[in-house]
Amino acid sequence: MNGLRRILGTPGVRACLSLVMVFALGLIFNADGAFFSWGTHRDMLRQVSVIGILACGMTVVIIAGGIDLSVGSVLGLSAVLFSLLTIHQGWNPFLAALATIAAGLGCGTISGVLSGKFRIQPFISTLAMMVFARGVAKWVSGGQKVSTAVQMSDGSYQYVPSPPVFDLLGARIAGGHVAVVTLVLAACLLLVGVFLSRVRWGRHMYALGGNEEAARYAGIPVRATTVLAYAISGVLCAVAGICQAAQELQGDPEAGTTYELSAIAMVVIGGTSLRGGQGTIWLTALGILIIGYLEKILSINAVGEETRLMLTGAIIVAAVLFQRKE
Amino acid sequence: MKYGLSRLRRRGRRDAKSALRNDIVFLLGFLVCVTAGVSHAQAHKWTIGMSQCNLGEPWRVQMNADIRKAAEEHPEITVIFKDAQNDNLRQVAHVEEFVRAGVNLIIISPKEAAPLTRPVADAYGRGIPVIVLDRRVLGDRYTCFIGADNRKIGRAAGRWIAALLGGKGTVVELKGLMTSTPGQDRNAGFREGIRGSGIDVIFEADMKWLEPDARKEMESALARFPHIDLVYAHNDPAAHGAYLAAKAAGREATMKFVGIDGLPQEGQMYVRQGILAASFEYPTGGREAIRTALSILSGTSVPKEITLPSRVFTKDNIAKGGEWLPE
Repeated sequence: MNGLRRILGTPGVRACLSLVMVFALGLIFNADGAFFSWGTHRDMLRQVSVIGILACGMTVVIIAGGIDLSVGSVLGLSAVLFSLLTIHQGWNPFLAALATIAAGLGCGTISGVLSGKFRIQPFISTLAMMVFARGVAKWVSGGQKVSTAVQMSDGSYQYVPSPPVFDLLGARIAGGHVAVVTLVLAACLLLVGVFLSRVRWGRHMYALGGNEEAARYAGIPVRATTVLAYAISGVLCAVAGICQAAQELQGDPEAGTTYELSAIAMVVIGGTSLRGGQGTIWLTALGILIIGYLEKILSINAVGEETRLMLTGAIIVAAVLFQRKE
Repeated sequence: MKYGLSRLRRRGRRDAKSALRNDIVFLLGFLVCVTAGVSHAQAHKWTIGMSQCNLGEPWRVQMNADIRKAAEEHPEITVIFKDAQNDNLRQVAHVEEFVRAGVNLIIISPKEAAPLTRPVADAYGRGIPVIVLDRRVLGDRYTCFIGADNRKIGRAAGRWIAALLGGKGTVVELKGLMTSTPGQDRNAGFREGIRGSGIDVIFEADMKWLEPDARKEMESALARFPHIDLVYAHNDPAAHGAYLAAKAAGREATMKFVGIDGLPQEGQMYVRQGILAASFEYPTGGREAIRTALSILSGTSVPKEITLPSRVFTKDNIAKGGEWLPE
């Protein structure tokens, strides 16, 4: 009996149970069988991919005891930058991706330095980055979506074909059963998972988030670890931005607004504590699935917006309460 | 310790010095701006203040671009643009700033009616003509309202769609934010337009004007309904998102897509590419605003209300610039 309780007490099992319950909702409210078709699940996995990638970076930051509110804006900036470089400037997609990732890395590093070196609370420093990056996104795009409609010098618009890298990232493989962006998400989960559990700097994140003073006395480079956490988040924002642009076939300077909240919700619903120092990427993976299925089930049943918002709020609270150890 | 203290002291001195320097720089900058502004005002005959409620939407960016372009053709006017960033109080401040600056005319595209009614009425009361663009203010204390009629456009879209489908078929409606008047009107107008026909709206969802949301909702519609004849979306990006969803499912050729707004780089381009069957223009009124402003400034009387005509763009008429909707 005690053993059973101990098993039920682990966050992983609890998150699994939450997921099973949401899944059961789908089985009951299956929208005339739409829930039983693989396409529904495939689409759900595609839909959560972009925010899921953000949640990967968010997991690292939260474990390190911080929070990153800038992820949505950095995603928007990255989407704009990648679209500008590939569609309008005709850059090689690898170079464009590298440049975009460098921009994301830059944003993350700045947030990290502000928090780590200048001791600004992460809520404030990343809030500032959230506003700043959105401004940069609007500035470089001139306030317009960067799309395949290119404005000529006489003011008229000319249509250019979308770059092949967009088609590649927006496509599905394995007989059309898996979206490429879902694989990108899987790769991000795996890399972050390995980093957190197998790499020394990854272990430092836990120490830093658990007790910063203790970590300092233990000889852990606290500042560098903080900077690294936000830098990783920044890089993943850029990856997510590239995926977003590829799927929309355009770079929207408004893309990613409020995504930071969904990303945080995914991490927390999985069972990673906002207090830092604990949690794993696999919990976040479960959180991503829980949120993804919840949205999908509400959507295929064409539930009205007001009901949707109320239900989502209630279910998030229920899931987190269920997560908590008694 | 001593070193630390002296450094602190030095920093204090530096702060005071830099604060002073900042003040001087600020004053100088202010003077330069004022002089530039004055000399500017002298070079031009009239100054127009334009307050935009939110430049986060492409349609509103286009409105400003239309105004700027129309104004460039008239060297006698200068337009000062302000962006309220979706904030009522900031926009109230804009109007007050324009009044204090003594502009000759104000163009405002208000965020909301109630909070902006009084500042607009105040400016109007001081003898500054005010053109209200796209969204309304309450009462009649303004010079002229210019806007298009979403309900009429929705109705035209409904009729056009009913005719296109031969009077019967299944339609998915992707609605804009249903707490916003454009969303409500584009929905109500559409329902009026299809009334009496055999058009059946089998799936409707609120996509909040956002393309990613439209794509998600469309994927759900596709998962539920094996046969969809047409998607009616309240804006062109949503119609495009629906198209991408259908394309990913390999079903884009079995249905048609119709959107609203008809911006040159969005709706019109999608029609040109064959993605949308039609896009219904929701005109920005930028050009008309400048034309009306010139009339007012030169003493010609203008009607209190100008309803902008709207065009429909289809593959057949896009080359000749669309077709005007019947009144």
